[in-house]
Amino acid sequence: MRSSRFIFLLVLTGLALRAADGSLTVRVQHGQLPLADAVVSLTPLDTTVSPPAVFPEVTIAQEDKEFDPYVTPVMAGTRVSFPNRDNVQHHIYSLSKPKRFEKPLYASGASESVLFDLPGIVALGCNIHDWMIGYIVILPTPWFAKSDTGGGAVVSGFPAGRYRLEVWHPRLAKPVSREITLAAGENPPEPFTLQLKPDRRIRRTTDGRPGGY
Amino acid sequence: MPGLPSFRHFRTRLLVLILGLLTAALGVSYFLVTRANRANAIAHIEENLAGALRVFRFSVELRQERLAQSAKVVSADWPMRTLYLQEELDRHTLRSTLVSYAERLDVPVVTAFGTDGEMLASTMEGLSDELCGPFRHLVQKAESENADQAGDFAYLAGRLHVLVVVPLYAPRPNIIGWFGAAFPIDDTFAQGLKQTTLAEVTFVSGVGETSHRVLATTLPPAWASIVADQMPASRTEAAQTSLVTLDDEPYVTLFIPLGLLGDDPARIALQRSLAAELAPARDLEDIIVLISLAALLIAFLAALGAARNVSQPVQALATHTEVIARGDYGARLDLHRSDELGQLAESFNRMSAGLAERDRVRDLLDKNVSPEVAAQLMREGAALGGEEREVTILFADLRGFTTLSERMPPRELITLLNRYLDAMSGAIEAEGGIIDKFIGDEIMALFGAPVASSDGADRALAAALAMRTALAGFNATLAAEGLPPLAFGVGINTARVVAGNIGSHRRLNYSVIGDGVNVAARLQTLTRDPSHGTDIILSAATLAATRKPWATRHLGVLGVKGRKEAVEIHALA
Repeated sequence: MRSSRFIFLLVLTGLALRAADGSLTVRVQHGQLPLADAVVSLTPLDTTVSPPAVFPEVTIAQEDKEFDPYVTPVMAGTRVSFPNRDNVQHHIYSLSKPKRFEKPLYASGASESVLFDLPGIVALGCNIHDWMIGYIVILPTPWFAKSDTGGGAVVSGFPAGRYRLEVWHPRLAKPVSREITLAAGENPPEPFTLQLKPDRRIRRTTDGRPGGY
Repeated sequence: MPGLPSFRHFRTRLLVLILGLLTAALGVSYFLVTRANRANAIAHIEENLAGALRVFRFSVELRQERLAQSAKVVSADWPMRTLYLQEELDRHTLRSTLVSYAERLDVPVVTAFGTDGEMLASTMEGLSDELCGPFRHLVQKAESENADQAGDFAYLAGRLHVLVVVPLYAPRPNIIGWFGAAFPIDDTFAQGLKQTTLAEVTFVSGVGETSHRVLATTLPPAWASIVADQMPASRTEAAQTSLVTLDDEPYVTLFIPLGLLGDDPARIALQRSLAAELAPARDLEDIIVLISLAALLIAFLAALGAARNVSQPVQALATHTEVIARGDYGARLDLHRSDELGQLAESFNRMSAGLAERDRVRDLLDKNVSPEVAAQLMREGAALGGEEREVTILFADLRGFTTLSERMPPRELITLLNRYLDAMSGAIEAEGGIIDKFIGDEIMALFGAPVASSDGADRALAAALAMRTALAGFNATLAAEGLPPLAFGVGINTARVVAGNIGSHRRLNYSVIGDGVNVAARLQTLTRDPSHGTDIILSAATLAATRKPWATRHLGVLGVKGRKEAVEIHALA
């Protein structure tokens, strides 16, 4: 599996630091193609992070029998609601360490929130729709970003200092991190490459008779 | 060569016979070999097809079992039971769940039923509740047999499927519904069966429908229609084998009825190409043909050689026969062979040698005896014995030859004598007389023997006159050569004498004996008597035997030496 198809390239392209509002621009590539849904985060190594006064509202919808969005980064302590926007019931669950929960068969319109207070990765599934998969990346820091379809992610609002730069993606075995110092006049770090796993998501056929036997 | 065409004919016949027999033998063996090969190939294919049928049944059983297992897994699933037992059944959710489970279990069709067999949801598009009859049939069967599963073949939305139903327990033995699973008998299934069995597979709808419908096949559509048309019309449950021609190639085809739930039985056609099965045998048959052709060619050449070997010497013998027929007995035929034909050639050579010898003998005989005697000898053989008959005997003696012999050298003397005798003989033979013998310069001639004739006396007298004339002519020649003239005396008598081949076994002479012979010789000596004044004297018996009138002069009656009776003699004028 040393094929270049699975080479994950993280290029830190821009670094701008002002008094208390730094901004790091990252481009995530898969080979020559941009890679979406990668989560880039900066965790300060020398200072502690105080939780925000108000956590943002985060929603992961079940729409067209999929989780939307696929990957959701949140800061630890955030509540996430799971509205069902389909005309069929869902039965979502998590068996991941940071948060185990189950919401047995609930109908359209129902929405209940779950508190994610420990950092880590939570994989979401639906008990009756095998192809449904979603991820919640719970981070101990407010400075994170998710790469868009162009592969770009911008982390901003952090002060200069020493950080653990962490990258995660559903196709990475575990998060990859390295220590960087972000200060005025510093050059952006060298790009680094990572190995991706093959995409093992269930290829969902349209909602009808499955092809092949 | 008149014999040649028939020999050619012989050669042709030999060739035709040998090649004909060989061709017939090779042809018959080729026919038998191809027939046996074909029969073997068909038997072998039938065995294979029976095996393919077992593979089909086993494969269906296996899949049916797997379907049942999968259906049982789904029926035991907690969310599934929960879904079933909700206050109000959410069919949409049930259907989307079934789709998910069908993918998870890799089962083409999953359908959920209520306890009464009402269809709740199905992953199969277009499968309405009305079309679920076969599933309900199986539900009833499982219920009545109190079985954990039931399965069979049936049509689902017009397509052939293998169906299985299992109950949904919550908990066992409380049945809260039924799960049905199915997989289609489609082209993909047929291809899979073909990969295992190497047989062409076609499923055709039952005879109850207006026309046979191809349900699934490994064949091109046009061929599959042909197979469908050839399906046995009867509804018998027995499998049938027949030959179906597809694209000019025969396929051994096994038709097997396949029982369906609530419908006429469908049929499976399992086929294998006879040509493909025969291919290795065909190679062998081609080799046999090549060997046969080579054998025919060799036989042709050998027969040609053999025919030549026989016809050429036979032709040579024929040619040789022609040569012998032309009288060339000296020619020899050498075939340089030790077989029967060589022996035949040897026999021919001995025969021609024998003919040459006979010819030589005949030639000598002609010279030594008169032609008539020789002919009689050739005809009747040289038998001793004799017969009594009336013969006119003529003796002619040369006068003055003794004197002449003293004056001439022997060779010239013999030459002269031979010329004289030749002239006399000519005169005698011209009148039909035969020279009995030459006694030195004396001639003894016979008239009326060996061939009897009634006018012997007349011819003897005519010969005597001719001799006289011939002598005159001869004398004229002698005079021209400066030689003295010759004279002769002739005595003629007619008497009954004994004629026959006289002598020893080694040497025979046709002659006559008897008193009459002596009288004739005696009459010749009488011509020496000048008183008679004639050179030809004949007896009264001769004169009496004549039929024509002859000018004669009576000389008187004389006693003849050694004879009691006197003889009346006459001179021929």
